[in-house]
Amino acid sequence: MHLVNDLIVFLAANLILSQALGISTMFIAAGSRRNLVGTACCIMVFTTVGTMAAYLIDSALPSRLSDLRLLFYTLAIGVMYIGSLGAVYSIKRLDFAVIRKYIHLSAFNCAVMGTLFTISNKARSDSSLMNFAEYLKFGFEAGLGFITAALILTAAYRKLNSSKVPASFRGFPAMLVYTGIISMAVYSLK
Amino acid sequence: MNENKRSVFAGILGDNAVLSGLMVISPVIVCGDHIRNALVLIYAFSTITFLSVVISSFVPRKLSYAVKIMIYAVISSLVYLPVRTAADTFFPDSVDRIGIYFPLLAVNSFIVFQSEVKFFRMPRGKMTLSLIFYIIGFDAVMLITAFIRELFAYGTINSKMADVDTLISGLGEPFGGFIFLGLMCGVYRKIRSMASRSKNSARGETDASGK
Repeated sequence: MHLVNDLIVFLAANLILSQALGISTMFIAAGSRRNLVGTACCIMVFTTVGTMAAYLIDSALPSRLSDLRLLFYTLAIGVMYIGSLGAVYSIKRLDFAVIRKYIHLSAFNCAVMGTLFTISNKARSDSSLMNFAEYLKFGFEAGLGFITAALILTAAYRKLNSSKVPASFRGFPAMLVYTGIISMAVYSLK
Repeated sequence: MNENKRSVFAGILGDNAVLSGLMVISPVIVCGDHIRNALVLIYAFSTITFLSVVISSFVPRKLSYAVKIMIYAVISSLVYLPVRTAADTFFPDSVDRIGIYFPLLAVNSFIVFQSEVKFFRMPRGKMTLSLIFYIIGFDAVMLITAFIRELFAYGTINSKMADVDTLISGLGEPFGGFIFLGLMCGVYRKIRSMASRSKNSARGETDASGK
């Protein structure tokens, strides 16, 4: 029963289904299994490491300068972006051309930046969340949430793009409506 | 209308950022349920995107792609600061309601990716004009979405009561936003395909009469 409750809480807190963060990236990721794995891994790394950086920034930044968070988050993600490209290039040079497109796709998008702002705002309203472990946990869960939402979409991707769907609604429009229905189901769990 | 002019105006109908490219859709889905939210988002998106892309166009082309993307994001984060300060003065209530979607506009795919792929390949004058039409395209979708969703979700138009018999409260929720935007995308595609079909048939008739 605890497991079911945890699953419900996990789904209800999903940033894609409840806040539409990173939805267009998810549509690209759901296109093929390879894209899904590559993008999901990169998003997971960026949200997890990004929340660690966000914790350091939030701890150091006085609340009256909170508007500067975006600038510091951007700088942190920018450093991670260039660092990860450099790391992949030096470690897996042969696969660099394939992996870099996932890094380009994952670095600056709403899924990652939205995760940092969401946990930061939560920590500002509830001081018990203002610790490294909570930030890290939230970042990891956001990455898992992205994978879950992308898997749900992948299950129906082929059907939503099939010739049985009217041409005007084939692809993105059908995927949006489908995501809306899943989001409605998740909303009812809250 | 020749191809050159068409590419400049494409942002409004032919290649709308939201309905065709699915760019910047999160604020439309979550915050586009009220006209007062829409007005703040329109102000923020238009100002941040226009200034960021124009300033970013001066970044040297020779730099590597990743460095340029990072510089564009930093420029838009800096542009965000005065825009945010002005928004706090002019729309104090709405800014709080929009929450995280306000800063997220500063890292939208228009600034971070489309600028490099689309806008910076054009001459600066044409780029500026094209950018303005893409921004108007987003603004129009945002306003139409907010108007319809507010009317049918809450029975109001810009917070003033309207005479609507049937209310669909779910339209004001994010899932309502997903479904509404999906339907709007489908209708937009249908209109676009009908327009191109009629244009092709008109062109065919002109060719036939020419022969």
